[in-house]
Amino acid sequence: MIELQNVHKYFFKDEPREVHALNNINLTLEDGEFTLFSGPSGCGKTTLLNAIGALDEIDSGKIYFDKTEISALSDTARTSLRLNQMGFVFQAYNLVPVLSVEENIGFIMKLRGFSDSEIQKRVLEVASMLEIDNKLKALPNALSGGQQQRVAVARAVAAKPKIILADEPTANLDSKNSQKLMDMMKELNKKEGVSILFASHDEYIFENVRRIVKMNDGEIVDA
Amino acid sequence: MFSFALKNILFYKGRSLTTFVLTFVSTLLFVVYVSMMDGSHKSMLQNAIKIYTGAIEIYHKDYRDIGGNEYLIQDTSAILKKISQIEGVEAYTSRYETFGLLSSKNNSAASMVAGIEPEKEKSLSSISEALTEGEFLTEKSGNCIYMGVELVKKLKVKLADEVAFIGAASDNSFAADIFRVCGIFKTGSFEFDLSTSFLSRDYFDTLMLSKNKASYITIKVDDLEHVEAVNEKIARVLDDNLESLTWKTLMKTMVEAMEVDSIFGYISLALFLVVIFFVIMIYGFINVSSRIKEFGVLRCVGISNSNIFSLLFYEIFILSTLAIAVAAPIGGYICYYYSINPIVIEGIAEMYKDYGIISDEIPFDFSVFTLAWNILLIYVLNFLSILYPYFYINSFRPIEASRHV
Repeated sequence: MIELQNVHKYFFKDEPREVHALNNINLTLEDGEFTLFSGPSGCGKTTLLNAIGALDEIDSGKIYFDKTEISALSDTARTSLRLNQMGFVFQAYNLVPVLSVEENIGFIMKLRGFSDSEIQKRVLEVASMLEIDNKLKALPNALSGGQQQRVAVARAVAAKPKIILADEPTANLDSKNSQKLMDMMKELNKKEGVSILFASHDEYIFENVRRIVKMNDGEIVDA
Repeated sequence: MFSFALKNILFYKGRSLTTFVLTFVSTLLFVVYVSMMDGSHKSMLQNAIKIYTGAIEIYHKDYRDIGGNEYLIQDTSAILKKISQIEGVEAYTSRYETFGLLSSKNNSAASMVAGIEPEKEKSLSSISEALTEGEFLTEKSGNCIYMGVELVKKLKVKLADEVAFIGAASDNSFAADIFRVCGIFKTGSFEFDLSTSFLSRDYFDTLMLSKNKASYITIKVDDLEHVEAVNEKIARVLDDNLESLTWKTLMKTMVEAMEVDSIFGYISLALFLVVIFFVIMIYGFINVSSRIKEFGVLRCVGISNSNIFSLLFYEIFILSTLAIAVAAPIGGYICYYYSINPIVIEGIAEMYKDYGIISDEIPFDFSVFTLAWNILLIYVLNFLSILYPYFYINSFRPIEASRHV
């Protein structure tokens, strides 16, 4: 479970161009959620996702991840938390170009110390679920955008994190691939029980999630 | 991380090749440069010692400071017997030196005239090899005098000419004789060639009443690196009135010249290393700067700082090892080849004769130990060169780095 209490985040603090990116955010996210942070550009949805993902620091308030206060953790502990508990899907895929599809998918598992046989089994399982099992030996630059994003999702989900944070995952995909990706993520959420949080204003995500947290000017206007 | 680093190296071929070439060229230049520097020092030393001064010389304690016949070494044969039993002593001989006036029909000149044992001298100095005209001395050369080329010019004599000698014998009595010029030598040292002449000791001792006496005893050691240790052993067996000195004391000017040369050598070496370091570091920094987004993503997904460091370390380790593995044997072979077959530049000896250079050869030195520390230093420089890029990457927050363009 994730809990945010009175979270504030500023950009360019104490400068004339100061932006109050997160304004008194209070939110509880239960295990297994399939939730979208939505709102206009600059409303703070990506900032909120980054704060939950221990990628960015907040200025005040508290964020709890399973009763662990993320905001109080050291950089090393936050890195460890991201590695062991979280999965990330980025708008620009951000695959490791030198690794093949199967190596990209198994990358986090390898870092976490899974055995080679476990990795191989899980990679096959996730790849077939995301319909990229015929591309396992290919390098990312040989794949289409939709395929690369599916590899990114597979990488995020392979090590069985408690939560996946997906920032604009469909922004670079066409409508067909967007729908396909959402169907797959929905299935993962259902099958694997992994919580998935989206930050997006894509209608396909809007239509598929179970919960929508609407934001505007750094505040939650509807949860 | 090792296999990840290897994949990065293979994937980014241009980047890897440039780093490889930089390290290869640096290693090669560094190995050859150090070899030349060491070679020139060794050559200076060997040449200087080879001409006439021994690695170790034994004197009466007051001979060098006060001088005179009162401070000659007495009972030379007993001392030579003791020295012959010392490990590390390769050859030895006693010399009797005196100063006198040499006169020809046309001119006169003061000269140091030394009585030497010609056969033993051949293995101790390069006097015999410096022969340019006539012949070197033998035990039975009689009144033959072996003169420096500049002294010959000054006296305006030639082979077979006679020169008169006037000096003081070892008992301070008057000594005079007529010598015949049998050989002329040129060492390359102007001062030495102007002021020195030799006679066979057998003949000279009779004239100078110096049988079993010596101005000093000169010693060659089997390895110059062990000269201090051998000197200590010799000092232990000598009477209190005698002293044993190494070339470092005997040739202070030479040592100072070498030290100055060493300082300049090490300064240029340091500059060379700084250049290598910055070239590799700047290139590494440019590389890393183009990978900030990549490192940012890796840190976002949970790669720790230590893993990033390991990745950079393995990348530089693999490339350095490959470059050094190719450069070291090539550099080593170049040094080895030129240490046996030195490069010859006509006229260089004339330019550097004041530094004891008596040959036109550019000396190289080959030593496995030197090669090893050269390689180690290049490794260390390569590893140090990743520190700044690493800290630069860490100055970005993961999310900030992942969005870097």
